[in-house]
Amino acid sequence: MRGQNFKKKPDKTNRKKKRRDNVREQNQCRFCRSKTRFIDFKDIEILGKMLTHRGKIFSRKRSGNCASCQRKVKLAIKRARFMGLLPFTS
Amino acid sequence: METVTKRLYEALFLVDSGEAAADWQGINDHIKKVLERNEVEILSMRKWDERPLAYPIAGKKRGTYILVYFNAPSAKITDIERDSQLSERIMRVLILRGDHITPEDMAKDTPAILAEKNIAPPAGPKAELVKELETLAAEDDDEAPLDVDAKLD
Repeated sequence: MRGQNFKKKPDKTNRKKKRRDNVREQNQCRFCRSKTRFIDFKDIEILGKMLTHRGKIFSRKRSGNCASCQRKVKLAIKRARFMGLLPFTS
Repeated sequence: METVTKRLYEALFLVDSGEAAADWQGINDHIKKVLERNEVEILSMRKWDERPLAYPIAGKKRGTYILVYFNAPSAKITDIERDSQLSERIMRVLILRGDHITPEDMAKDTPAILAEKNIAPPAGPKAELVKELETLAAEDDDEAPLDVDAKLD
């Protein structure tokens, strides 16, 4: 039992290292790769995934977005929040 | 002499679901009236979606969104916004410049139409992006320090 529990939750240092490796594999952010020039505030499917369960926007480090795409995402999320499409908090 | 330049705009109106279901034509006419009062040339006006709101607005939990594309003189946008805010039937409005919008974008099926026809959203780069982002949401561990709040609820 003990061994299984340990497997499920690897210690934090390992997990962080893995994430950093993932980021390095790509040299472009996911929006640049899909050649999205404009992020629409009505795309709730996409924008909703850029939020934590609490409704906070993922950081650039976390989402892997480039600076310009992160700004576009930020603006779109804030517009969607105003229209009641996405939560400010939950 | 002053020249009036007309630009393409995209507006999303939020109205109460109950009212929209009871008097759909009436609410459409109301929005049209607000727009036409301000020298607007409406290109397309459709129901975007009917969905629960992320947070209650004016005591309402569900809302109907109406998407309008129109050409309007830029000076009139503030007037449209003010008229909408004064209107009791319009809960929110967001008007954005639509220079990047093509006629194909305007003709695209809205979520409401897709749901009516019972079609899944078309696959494309967007669907791939959504799939990719799912892994991001799955890794979400931001909530750990806030567990204390959950216990209080």
